[in-house]
Amino acid sequence: MDKSMENKFLREKIIYNKLKVGLDVYILPKPGYSRQFAIYATRYGSNDSQFVPLGKNEAITVPDGIAHFLEHKLFEEEEGNVFEEYARLGAQPNAFTNFNMTAYHFTSTGNFYECLDVLMGFVGRPYFTDENVEKEKGIIAQEIKMYEDNPYWRVYFNLLKGLYHEYPVRKDIAGTVESIYKINKEILYECYRTFYHPSNMVLFIAGDVDADRVIKQAEELFAKQPVYEAGGEIERIFPDEPKGVAQARIEEKLAVSRPMFALGFKDEDITGGGNRLLEKIIANEIILDMLVGPSSDIYNSLYEEGLIDSSFGTDYTGERNYGHAIMSGQSSDPEKVASILYDEIDKRKSQPWDQDYFLRIKKKKTGQYIRLFNSLESTSIQFVSMLFRDINLFDYYQTIESMTYDYVIREFKQLYDKKNSCLSLILPRA
Amino acid sequence: MSNVIIKDLGKGINLHIIPDKKFKTVYISYCFHRDLDEDYTYNALIPAVLKRGCKGYEDQKKIGAFLEEQYGALFDVGVQKRGERQILRFTMDLVNEAYTAKDGLLAQSFYFLNRIINKPLLENSAFREDYVSQEKENLKNKIQALINDKIQYSIERCIQEMCKDEKYSRFVLGSVEDLESLDSERLYKVYQDMIVSSPLDIFVVGDVDVEKVSFLIKNSLDLDRAQTKVIPETIIKRVGVKQREVVESMDVAQAKLNIGFRTNTSVRENEYFPLVVYASILGGGPHSKLFINVRERSSLAYYAFARLEKYKGLMLIGSGIDQKHYQKALDIIMEQVKDMEKANISDQEFTAAINAITTSLKGAKDEPEQLVSYYLGNAVTGANFTLDDFIEKIQQVKLEDVVEVSKRVKVDTVYLLSPKEGNSLNG
Repeated sequence: MDKSMENKFLREKIIYNKLKVGLDVYILPKPGYSRQFAIYATRYGSNDSQFVPLGKNEAITVPDGIAHFLEHKLFEEEEGNVFEEYARLGAQPNAFTNFNMTAYHFTSTGNFYECLDVLMGFVGRPYFTDENVEKEKGIIAQEIKMYEDNPYWRVYFNLLKGLYHEYPVRKDIAGTVESIYKINKEILYECYRTFYHPSNMVLFIAGDVDADRVIKQAEELFAKQPVYEAGGEIERIFPDEPKGVAQARIEEKLAVSRPMFALGFKDEDITGGGNRLLEKIIANEIILDMLVGPSSDIYNSLYEEGLIDSSFGTDYTGERNYGHAIMSGQSSDPEKVASILYDEIDKRKSQPWDQDYFLRIKKKKTGQYIRLFNSLESTSIQFVSMLFRDINLFDYYQTIESMTYDYVIREFKQLYDKKNSCLSLILPRA
Repeated sequence: MSNVIIKDLGKGINLHIIPDKKFKTVYISYCFHRDLDEDYTYNALIPAVLKRGCKGYEDQKKIGAFLEEQYGALFDVGVQKRGERQILRFTMDLVNEAYTAKDGLLAQSFYFLNRIINKPLLENSAFREDYVSQEKENLKNKIQALINDKIQYSIERCIQEMCKDEKYSRFVLGSVEDLESLDSERLYKVYQDMIVSSPLDIFVVGDVDVEKVSFLIKNSLDLDRAQTKVIPETIIKRVGVKQREVVESMDVAQAKLNIGFRTNTSVRENEYFPLVVYASILGGGPHSKLFINVRERSSLAYYAFARLEKYKGLMLIGSGIDQKHYQKALDIIMEQVKDMEKANISDQEFTAAINAITTSLKGAKDEPEQLVSYYLGNAVTGANFTLDDFIEKIQQVKLEDVVEVSKRVKVDTVYLLSPKEGNSLNG
C-alpha cells in the first residue's frame, strides 16, 4: 500500500506506506536540504503506567518513570553502544519521552541509509541486564535532580499536579529517585514487548531521500530481524478523573530571583482524537492569542504596569483524554496578575472580541503553520505527535480556514471557568 | 544553496544575502557591533527600549497587530556577546509572500525595521521616559533571572571569576548597578553613537531576489551615518598554569562543576581548527571522552560537556553532579584532559569528532538563524571562510595537530556551585 498526500498550499507532499509488520512509514521529501531527519516513535509515554502486558490477562501498574528509563536503556547493545555506531557515521542521535510517546531520532548529513539501519536496529533489539539497568539509575537520578533545580520545569509540573486528581499526567515523566530504583530488567522487558511492536509505532523521515529505497530497506530489516507476534489492541487503563481541580493553588520555594507563575484551566470537554480534537486545539490557540496575545488589551496593560514582561507566554495542550490551557510568566505580584486575568475572562464572556481581531489571529496561525515546514525536526515531531492523536497535520490549514468565530467563542466560554483553574507559584526562598 | 552574497552599502554597512529556494520564510537581521566597554549596560538597554515603539507604530499593541496582519511575522530584538563586543540585533522572520495572498510583505518588513531602529519616540531629546523606566526594570529582572537557570548561572559565574580583570567578565545584559544609576541623556547619546558610527551587518536569508532586496534596503534605510568606529580586538590572554578554585553555595539539589580553561589560541590562527576538533573529542557530544567516562562509565552525571568560547580563547567544561562525588568527577574530567595531551586518542574518537563537526556545520545550511550566526561570526573576526571552506579546514586536521594544540590548553578556574547543606570540598 503506497499513497501520497499532497498539500498544494504548502507545496509539500508526504509518501505513506504500511509495512508488512504493520509499521506506518511516512516520508516528507525535502529537496535542497543538507540534513536528513528520522524519528521512530511508539505510542507509549509516562501516562501508560497501568496496562495489560502482552500475552497476559491481568493489568499491572509499573513504577513511575519507566517509559523514560526504557528510552535510556534501549541505547545499550550487547556489544558496545549505539552512540559509537552513530558517531562513526557522523549522525547526531537523541531521544525523548513525554506523556504520550517515546521517540528515537537522528540528524545526519550523509550515510543516511546506514543511520536508518542503526535506528531501526537498536530500537528493535532490547538488551537489558541487571548490571546495565543498575548503572543507569545514577545517571537518571542526576537528570531528575537537574530538573528539581529548574524552576521553569517545576512551575509547570506542579500546575499539572494541581489540575489533576488522578490522571497520570500529574506525575513527573522521569519519575522520582525512589521510583526508578524499583525498576528491574524484567519489568523493562514486559513494557518493551507490550509497547514496542512496530504496529504500535511510526517512522517519519524528512529530507532529500529516496522514498522507495527507504521502504525497501525497512522491509529487509524486518525480514532479517524478525519481530515477535503482536497482541492486538493494547489495553491501557486510565483512572477516572474527577471533575474540578485537585488544588486551586500550589506553591514551592526555590532559589529564584522573583516569583514565577502558571495559571492553568482544565478542560472537561474531552473529545478523543481526530478532527474534533484538531478543531479544539486550533480554537484554543486562537483564544489564547485573542485573550492575552501581544496585541490584546490585557497583555499591554499588564506589561505597562510592570506586572508581566516578555517572559509571559501561553500554551494549550489537547490530548485524547485530557486538555488544559496555561498562561505563565514571571511577576513580582503573580496573585494580582491572576486576579486581573480572571476579571478579563469574565468581562470577555459578555463582551467578546470583534471579528476583525479573530480574522487577524487566523492569519497569524496560518503563517505559523507555514513556518513550521522550514524545520525538518519540528515538522517531523509535530506530525508524529498529531498522528498519535489520529490527526493529519496536513489538515491543519483547512481547519484554520473553516474555523468559525462562533465555535471559538463557545469553546472559550466552555473552558475558562475559574472553578477549573489552578495557580502554580514558585516563590523565592527567603 | 547559493553562497552568501556580500554587498558593501558604504558607511560601514554590509549586506549579506543568502538566497535559498527551500525556505518558506525570509529571515532578516540587522546587527550593530558595539565594544563591550563601560557603556555595556546602555548597549543592552537600547534594543529593549526601541522595541517598545516608534513613529507609526507607537506601542506594542500596534506593533503586535501589524505583525499578526503580516501572517504572524516574528519580530525580536536582543543583544549577544561575541568576544569583547556586543551585537545589538533587530530581527524579523516573515512568511515568504509567495505563500500568501498578500504582496509587499517583504517591503513592509524593511520599512518597519527602519522605523524601529531609526525613528524612536522622543521626549526632550531623549527616549520616552515611561518606556525607559519600564525597560530598565525589565532588564534588571532579566539580569537577576540568570540565577533561575543553574546551568547557565554556573557557567557565567565561572567566566566572571576567570576573567575578573578583563572586560570579558561583563555580563551581556549589563549590570544592576549601572541600571540603578542610569542616565537617560547618556542612553540617548549611546544610541546616537550606534546609529552614526557602529559597524552594521544586515543579513537576509530566504527565497529572495538579490537585486530586489538590495533595492528595498537602500530605499528603506535612512541612517544618518558618519565615520565608522573600529571596535578594539578581543584580547586573548596568554597564560601558563595557574589553578584557582571558587566555591559558591546555594539552595540547590544538584552541584554544578564548571572548569574554565585558556586555550591560548585566537580564532584567527590556523591552530583554531584543530582546537575545534580537540573540544569535540573531549566533550562535544555522545562520542566524546567526557560523555563516555563521566556519564556512561561512572554514572556520575547526566550531562558533561566541553565547549569553546571561540572569540575569547576559552574552553569551558560543565557537569551536574552529586556533591559527594565532587573529587571523583573532577579527577575523571582532568584525566580526560591529560589523555588528550598524552595523545591517548583512538582513531575512532578522532574520526567521530571530525564527522560530528562536519554534520553540524553542514546542517547549519538548513537553519536561517544558524546561517546568520555563522556569517555574523565572520563579520566579527574578519574571516571570510564560507561554511564549505570551514568544513574543508576541519577535514584537513590531523591527529598530531590536535595533540599539538592540546598543549596550549591550560586550566584556569575550577568553579563549584554547591548545595548548601553539602560537605566541604574534599570531605
